[in-house]
Amino acid sequence: MEGKSEIVEVKTFPFPAGFNWAVGPMMERFIRTLAGRKVLGARCPGCGYTYVPPRSRCGQCQAAIAEKDVVELSGKGTLISYTNAHVAPDGNGNLKDLEKPIVVGAVKLEDADSVLFMPVEGVKPQDLKIGLAVKVRWREETKGAVADICCFEPVG
Amino acid sequence: MKRRNVAVIGCGQTKHSSRRRDVNVAEMVSEAVYNALEDAQVSAREVDAFVVGNMPGFGGVAQPEQWIAESLGAAGKPVLRIATGGTTGGSVGQGGYYVVASGLHDMVVAVAWEKHSDSKEAGATTGLLHVGLGNFFHAAGYGLSLKNLVATSVVGAAAGVAVYQAMFYMHRSGCGIEHFDMVAAKARRNAAKNKYAHLQWPGCTAEDIAKTDIVTYPFRYGHICPASDGASAIVVAEESLARKKAKQPAWFKGLASYTDEENQLQSENFGGVGVTDPSEQRGCWLSAVKAYRMAGIVDPKTEIDVAEIYQPFPSQELFFAERLGLFDEGTAWMALETGETEIEGRMPLDPSGGVNATNAIGSSAMQRILECALQIMGKAEEHQVPKKVRNALAHGWGGVTNYSTVTVLGDTPGR
Repeated sequence: MEGKSEIVEVKTFPFPAGFNWAVGPMMERFIRTLAGRKVLGARCPGCGYTYVPPRSRCGQCQAAIAEKDVVELSGKGTLISYTNAHVAPDGNGNLKDLEKPIVVGAVKLEDADSVLFMPVEGVKPQDLKIGLAVKVRWREETKGAVADICCFEPVG
Repeated sequence: MKRRNVAVIGCGQTKHSSRRRDVNVAEMVSEAVYNALEDAQVSAREVDAFVVGNMPGFGGVAQPEQWIAESLGAAGKPVLRIATGGTTGGSVGQGGYYVVASGLHDMVVAVAWEKHSDSKEAGATTGLLHVGLGNFFHAAGYGLSLKNLVATSVVGAAAGVAVYQAMFYMHRSGCGIEHFDMVAAKARRNAAKNKYAHLQWPGCTAEDIAKTDIVTYPFRYGHICPASDGASAIVVAEESLARKKAKQPAWFKGLASYTDEENQLQSENFGGVGVTDPSEQRGCWLSAVKAYRMAGIVDPKTEIDVAEIYQPFPSQELFFAERLGLFDEGTAWMALETGETEIEGRMPLDPSGGVNATNAIGSSAMQRILECALQIMGKAEEHQVPKKVRNALAHGWGGVTNYSTVTVLGDTPGR
């Protein structure tokens, strides 16, 4: 086989395949509500642990969480960890160097216990620090999709 | 070998239907788990560990155990995922036995599920793609074109396999297509008495089924199982807990699992297959022999009181019943004719309606164990068999496509 590719190329596929996941009622409400520039969480009636996005069963105490336990959050939060990404996928299965690093932060939202990992913009690398107060920057047009949250940025 | 006695002390299912769009996977699986915990009267905190599984690739979630763990109450507890294709539920149930019988844990939840509607395409196409992809590439490596493979060998995955099984069985037993009509009608009638079942048709007759069109001879539309969304869970405990928590525990008495060579996709060894008759199912027969020996059962024809057989296609109820030693070779269809396999018959087969009426694939073999447990505990409600159930037989079949599990449950530990 020397010198000859052992990769078997498949050009046509005999049937189509796609997925159509149900996200569940809590997550669906979370996604739709983003259109109105609101971030929802779910506060466990058993132990008070608050999840973003909301979910229907508490992993801490196993209590069922219902629609009535959904709470609106401020969209503000605190940076609890971060890193700088210097490369990104180039769309062809390889990585490309970025002109400017992207900050990816772990943000604990006000009144919530769980964490969102999101890009953080509008802050110089030397100003990054644990405990930095941040808030959601919304996309100019929100349509009820996770991408409505553009990134987090420093408050003020 | 020293093994602890182990029993099922609680059972929980979801209602099975074509589309559970109202819940995500974690929520659907939790529904079954919390129903089982309620049935066993135990809290999630009392559970030591979880054994979980669905058909690998189906639903397109690669690591479902990580998605569902917190919802199940498994955070901070050991989680063992088992995936053996269509037989997954049987292996998950047996896994629940292993971890308790070994002394590793005292009480565990074993849960299996499938959510077909998370595939965008009709039926199980997307899931099958995931399962079959590796095999397709093997076949391509042997120089076989995909279109040719699909046209000649796979013909609809399990359905394609089952067609050959059915034809071989008809040739050697004298069974006819009308007997498949009868099995399918019985499955739908029985399912109508099982509130969790999918295809429910009260009073369905063989004539009703015979009116449906042929898909691939000898199968009609009316013979074929649905693609269901659903989950099923059992709470499994060691002897002292089981006796404390359950009035009538369903004891694991014997179990085994064997595999035959896969006999249709046959791609890993294309060009030759050792299994001549796909209805021979030697792995099923070996599993049964081994499980009976462990359970102390000498004559399954008289000692087994009810059997839940994995029968997505009606022919499978017949030849598997024979391979499981419940009837002599080539005679199960005669017993069907005389009503022996009805709920109130001498040897009830699939009183729940079985896989032919409800097929949430990963969950299907687990449901067989769960249904046997219900029969022993006397909790099967409308489809409870009228006679006293001392021993019940749960069978699973699948893999791609000859992986078998056999589990004997009883009203006493038997050892």
